[in-house]
Amino acid sequence: MNQPELIIQLQQGDESAFKKLVDEWKDMVYNTALGIVQNADDADDITQEVFIQVYQSVSSFKGESKISTWLYRITVSKALDHEKKKRRKKRFGFVQSLFGGQEEEQLHPVEFNHPGVQMEKKERAGELFDALRQIPNNQRIAFTLHKLEGQSYQEVAEIMNTTLYAVESLMNRAKTNLRKVLSSYYTDKIPEQ
Amino acid sequence: MNKKEQINKLIEEAISSVDTIKRAEAKPFLLTRINARMRKETESAWEKAGWFIGRPAVAFTGLCLILLINVMVVVVNNQSDTTAVAEQSVQTPADEFSYTVATIYDNENTQP
Repeated sequence: MNQPELIIQLQQGDESAFKKLVDEWKDMVYNTALGIVQNADDADDITQEVFIQVYQSVSSFKGESKISTWLYRITVSKALDHEKKKRRKKRFGFVQSLFGGQEEEQLHPVEFNHPGVQMEKKERAGELFDALRQIPNNQRIAFTLHKLEGQSYQEVAEIMNTTLYAVESLMNRAKTNLRKVLSSYYTDKIPEQ
Repeated sequence: MNKKEQINKLIEEAISSVDTIKRAEAKPFLLTRINARMRKETESAWEKAGWFIGRPAVAFTGLCLILLINVMVVVVNNQSDTTAVAEQSVQTPADEFSYTVATIYDNENTQP
């Protein structure tokens, strides 16, 4: 089934078309969300939200972009919203904890291990994911889409609704900032000789 | 290897650690969970609507609104009845003294 047919069936409320959509793109959505929020449960929640939104808003999808591009856009937007909500909750939790309330919730787990990383690279990857949290959102998104999802710069530009040149620039800045963060981390970690 | 070289090596290792990354797989039974969540959201929307309507302030306002509409309908109906009676009383003499235009057929057939 090609994409226009699938979209038409989805717009007609075909349950089997929705199942096909979920089966085909669930890992892509989950992996993207996981790369951004760095928490398996949150990524699972976001994946569900993405497909619910697709189900509810498919009637307004004009087919000007690929389904995958549309799904990436929704996923990125939902993941960033999720982080914002969590940050707000964290701030509120901090205020509550001052008045003897519940413990504040952590925005990200202390250490994140992506399940797709090779065993021998887990430690370095964990440090990279930690550094990723400390760079601006647009650089993080470009890096995640390119490195974790294997999207080309052109595809990243379409997903982020920007130019190829802007994505190249974002990737360069992301790498520079990651090097800075990691350098500072390793400088503190490695003892003077 | 001095410290700077060591750090640079670690940085490059960290950045390239995701070059061979595999895509993480979504948890099983995703579709079932999505369907359950959609059902729950629909139910909770009705629950929210019920809770909203059941609030005393909303219920009282709604009741007042319904009463107001009823009163307005009664008043408007009474007014239109009075106008109809008045129109009827004017219409009756007009009908009695009315001049009916004879048709061509009547003009041609004057004889019984």
